[in-house]
Amino acid sequence: MKKIKTHGTFEQTLTPLLFLAPNMLIFTVFIILPAVFGLRMAFYEWSILGDAHFIGIDNFRMLLQDQMFWRTLSNTVVYVVSVVPLTIVASLGLSLIAARQIPGIGTFRAFYYLPTMLSYVIVGIAWRWILGDDLGIVNYLLTSAGAVKVHWLTKSSMAMASLVFVTVWNRTGYFMMMFIGGLTAIPDTYYEAAKIDGVSRFQMFRHITLPLLRPTVLVVGVLSTIEAFKAFELIFVMTGGGPGYSTKFLVQNIYQIAFEEDRMGYGASMSIVLLIIIGAFAFFQFFMNRKEYSNE
Amino acid sequence: MVKKTAVGTLLLIVMVSMVWAGGQGEESGEAEKVELSVLWFDDANESEVFLETMADYREANPNVSFDMQVIPFSDYEKKLKLMIAGGTPPDIARVTNNHVSMLYDSLQPLNGNIENLDEFASNFFESSLAFATNPAGELVALPTEATANGMLVNKTAFKSVGIDIDELSKTWTWEDWFDAMKKVVAENEKVKYGIGYDFSPHRWSTLLFEAGGRFLNEDADGMNFNTPEAVDALKFFKRLHSEELAPHSVWMGSEKPQEMFKSGLVACHIGGSWWINAYAKDITNFEWGAVRMPKRKIRSSVPGGKFIATFKGADNKEAAYDVIKTFSDKKHNEQYCRDTFNLSSRKDADIDYPSRGKDFAVFGEDLSVTPAYTAIDWKSPELNKIYSYIREQIVEGLLENQTMEEAAENIHTKGNTFFE
Repeated sequence: MKKIKTHGTFEQTLTPLLFLAPNMLIFTVFIILPAVFGLRMAFYEWSILGDAHFIGIDNFRMLLQDQMFWRTLSNTVVYVVSVVPLTIVASLGLSLIAARQIPGIGTFRAFYYLPTMLSYVIVGIAWRWILGDDLGIVNYLLTSAGAVKVHWLTKSSMAMASLVFVTVWNRTGYFMMMFIGGLTAIPDTYYEAAKIDGVSRFQMFRHITLPLLRPTVLVVGVLSTIEAFKAFELIFVMTGGGPGYSTKFLVQNIYQIAFEEDRMGYGASMSIVLLIIIGAFAFFQFFMNRKEYSNE
Repeated sequence: MVKKTAVGTLLLIVMVSMVWAGGQGEESGEAEKVELSVLWFDDANESEVFLETMADYREANPNVSFDMQVIPFSDYEKKLKLMIAGGTPPDIARVTNNHVSMLYDSLQPLNGNIENLDEFASNFFESSLAFATNPAGELVALPTEATANGMLVNKTAFKSVGIDIDELSKTWTWEDWFDAMKKVVAENEKVKYGIGYDFSPHRWSTLLFEAGGRFLNEDADGMNFNTPEAVDALKFFKRLHSEELAPHSVWMGSEKPQEMFKSGLVACHIGGSWWINAYAKDITNFEWGAVRMPKRKIRSSVPGGKFIATFKGADNKEAAYDVIKTFSDKKHNEQYCRDTFNLSSRKDADIDYPSRGKDFAVFGEDLSVTPAYTAIDWKSPELNKIYSYIREQIVEGLLENQTMEEAAENIHTKGNTFFE
């Protein structure tokens, strides 16, 4: 019997590993090790400048009774479930226009992509100026036109709505480009065949575009969910978590606990919980997508 | 063989060169080169002025150079803590009174390291020294500038309704202020609000101390905030908002009181003495100035300050002591405070500010009647850990999501968890 060789030579095996080594090293040093260190920290009472004491799962026990943790977690969930669907709908809608081959479409795409290139801090400062109660441009225009001013950032519900709007405005351009990539990958022949059969535009979107875009929707959904859960800079600059606790999210709470209250271990335990929640959401989205595929 | 000989010869040449070079250094008596890492933040132009102030020192000590990193204040504390935790603290850093109390264990005591320190330190204000003293009674930093909370007013707005604010403010109470403000807002189209109040518990605490309250107990080893005085101060602050004399957009939004003051939208601004510097440059369209704080139970400011310090893990401590002492002497301190437009922490400073000397004097007068316990409260690391929490609880009270009694109780309870 002839022996079949399933492995390459030593050089063939080693060469790719050597090429991967620098990246793996960087990944290990800057991602894996800090993550492991963070996980370990969650089981300690740890002040940044003091000694660490092992306390087992006490930090996690404390979390269950921490009203601020639940409050900021619930604010975060409200923000995520508002931002993610709106971002998907807005970016998909824009991509349907931007994917067409019409004159000036490049400028259109650039115009919507531009906000993505701005840092969150700049975006936050700019929108704070636009939506400010007393010095804001929008309220200036409203009052100049005889209307009453709107408490965009000083009323709890309006502050959350303003944050959601600004986030969607800021991120839509980025995800629009992903959808454009997905749309251009759909072969024209499907649409041509549908046209011959007399299918309406909406039906084409419903039965051709949307099913074939599902992998892109999944990627956009997962990425925007992760982004929304980790949101910090924009919120910190625009509302500072306020008014009161209305827009204080989990990441800001972690920052405050770890760096201001100097409870690094407790902050780390919150980070672990956040990681599990994000992981669960991502897994759920992948699972649903796979399930739908297998049903087809 | 040839290869071995060549390598051997090269090694010999290198070794001889090193020995020769070392001998040359000793013979010429060159001082060892020292590069001091300096961490600084700017309120205005402080890093630039620091280097200018120390120009003569650098000229006299050519072997000492400064590697200065200027960090935005918002990131400063985190950066400093991470450097200390990572075992690479700077040789010298500019720190606030909050930083000093937070970093007691990491700051290098100056006692025994700076010659005649007690005599040298006696030239500084006691409240400034109190901030710089660790629980063991050692000085861990030297004060550079003093800061004080106080009131800056739009004098043009008061004048336009016939109020001589300089005269009124000599003896005024908060009730006098309310009467005057209502008149100014009612009769002046541009002025929408009476007061812009910095979004800061430190600035808010001016009202607490004026109401006769404190954050901490007598021994400063626990909170003392669930008191009638603290509730009174919180309710007084709420009154400012409910009577529409303070804009909601500062404490409940994110607008800056200084911007509102500069635009003429608010008639008064309660902020720190550093605003004198900023306003001197920015405000040209109306007359403004500092006035005494209106009185409630007592008249009070709240002291604060900036300090210069070195760290236990610093690489160049000896050179750092030298720089700290030089920078803090009368001549250098006066130059630095004059050019950065700051109040000096030195009692013997005689600064001829290019302008606005009168305003600094007003802040100084308020500071001179301020009780010493205001500094003791704010030097507490435990109190500083609930800084954001205090702010959030006050806003929750302003939003009527809770009563001010509840806010006081929550702050009291949370603060005590750090004293346990």
